[in-house]
Amino acid sequence: MTRFMINKVAQLLLVLLAVTFLSFSALNLLGDPLFNVVGPLAELDCDAVEAGLIEDTTTTLNNQVGDCEIVAEARAVYRLDEPVMKRYVLWLGDLISGDLGTSFKNDLPVTEILKDKFPVSIMLMVMAEIVALGLAIPLGIYAAYRANHRADRILSVGSFGVLSIPNFALGVILLYLFALKWQIFPATHDDSSFFAEMKSLSLPAITLGAGLAATYQRLLRTDLLTTLQEDFVHMARAKGMTDSHIMWRHALRPSLFSIITVFGVNTGALIGGSLVVEQIFSIPGVGRELVQAVIRDDFPVVLGGVVVIASGFVVINFVVDLLYSWLDPRVRTT
Amino acid sequence: MTEIIETPQVPEVVPKKVLGVAFWVAIGWLFIVSLIALLAPVLPIDDPGEIGAGGPREGPSWANWFGTDALGRDVFSRTAWGARISLVVGLLAITLGIVVGGSLGMIAGFFRGWIDHVISFVFFTLLSFPALVLALLITATFDRSLRTVSLTLGVLAIAPVGRLARASTLVFAEREFVQAARVLGAKSRRIIVKELLPNVLIPMGALSLLGMGIAIVAEGGLAFLGLSVEGDAISWGKSIVDGSQSRDLQNNPNVAMFPIGVMFLTVLSLNFAGDRVREYFDVKESAF
Repeated sequence: MTRFMINKVAQLLLVLLAVTFLSFSALNLLGDPLFNVVGPLAELDCDAVEAGLIEDTTTTLNNQVGDCEIVAEARAVYRLDEPVMKRYVLWLGDLISGDLGTSFKNDLPVTEILKDKFPVSIMLMVMAEIVALGLAIPLGIYAAYRANHRADRILSVGSFGVLSIPNFALGVILLYLFALKWQIFPATHDDSSFFAEMKSLSLPAITLGAGLAATYQRLLRTDLLTTLQEDFVHMARAKGMTDSHIMWRHALRPSLFSIITVFGVNTGALIGGSLVVEQIFSIPGVGRELVQAVIRDDFPVVLGGVVVIASGFVVINFVVDLLYSWLDPRVRTT
Repeated sequence: MTEIIETPQVPEVVPKKVLGVAFWVAIGWLFIVSLIALLAPVLPIDDPGEIGAGGPREGPSWANWFGTDALGRDVFSRTAWGARISLVVGLLAITLGIVVGGSLGMIAGFFRGWIDHVISFVFFTLLSFPALVLALLITATFDRSLRTVSLTLGVLAIAPVGRLARASTLVFAEREFVQAARVLGAKSRRIIVKELLPNVLIPMGALSLLGMGIAIVAEGGLAFLGLSVEGDAISWGKSIVDGSQSRDLQNNPNVAMFPIGVMFLTVLSLNFAGDRVREYFDVKESAF
């Protein structure tokens, strides 16, 4: 077990290194890093300004500082005169100590910009998982109970259909029906109170949860059908227990393996989906901030957000992996 | 001496595998959509960019099948032209995924050892990013041309396709016909191309249909992030985004709903066809 854990943790660290390096290279190896940090300002001829040949300009929000001073500061903060590998190591050190760099577009630390955005995004994803499990478990049980009957067939066709609806399409349809036409839910984000926020996150959560629910429902049905062949189920039946008692209390728990396995992988789809859904329902989360950062060429914010999200995703998969091997000891030996 | 009459073993009746009517309906739909996309420039439909091809915000009519948007542009022709970009992006992305991911996966599965370790690690790292986040990172650094968008989605396809190719190669590399080729002294290249490739291509074919659907949806996702193809180019994703601004959506939902419907049917057809092809060729499920 100790050896297994050491291997797993080593793997985790290696993947985290690779993920951070890949993100870092996007800023530093693709295109001009100075341009990525400060945008079009990078094209200023600052040598000429220094030599006094042309005047420095001020185009940023705080008009006190000259553009060339900003460029010089950006060079210093992002250590652009150092070799790439050294920059990566120093940047990684900053990252570990919680410093994600500075945005030169609005002169704020990236950590500061992103900090407030995470809670609402995480809340959205948790609600989506709750919706997904709340739908998938009862429907999965029912489908397995009525296996190959009409209800099961309808559910099977239905879940196949739901899986083919892109989440943004479902989002637009729900927005149209429930927010604009019947006005049951608000069309824009409302965080005036906890209840109001929950309510305005309901449609987005259903949008994200529906696809997940379909995946979970199909897996649970398959696993349940296997479990129902087991001796202990026949035993329970022989003892005269009711079907619903057998389903919920005996068969459900050993049938949750596949759902746990795909939970990690699906989190990736959930994160990607929430980027899109935040746009549709104007939710002020990380996704929206990242997209706005891309549009205003604010690469430090993009990099910071991507690194945090990707690392979080890696850690979630690591935890799911451990959880899985803890539940099923056979995994450890292979 | 009694004679023992051996009854010849009657082979079990194996139900003949069929793809089913629904499969051909799906293929038919895909064919029609591709045909319209291909012929959009010569079909007698309005110019997709023509402002005032009909009155603004009109519902479906005989002249404008899918109605018109706020600028009076014909939604049907915008959907037809959108199919061109969406299908091309899907096709290019999955082709890149299969060529690059497939080759890497087969090399990893065939040679094993450190090559396998390195390639598998690359796949694992690529899969460690939520797909859309990786796409965001790439499109943020490049321009937003058709080429970049297709390339980005192609990069996303490399790891999943590569993993499948690696797994299939591992299985087939142990089979007798490959062992026989080895014993006969065939070179690695010959074994990979002549023996393994034809077998690995079948599961890849099914995956490419599913993958194309995923790429088409991903383009839509990028469009919602404002990161899809720039300029006047129309894709399904961009048409849906155009129609889903609150006011447009409330007053004339047809602008968003028709492209959504067409996209849904296309993705459904791709998923269904992919699923059927996979089952049809799945050796495990057949009785012999």
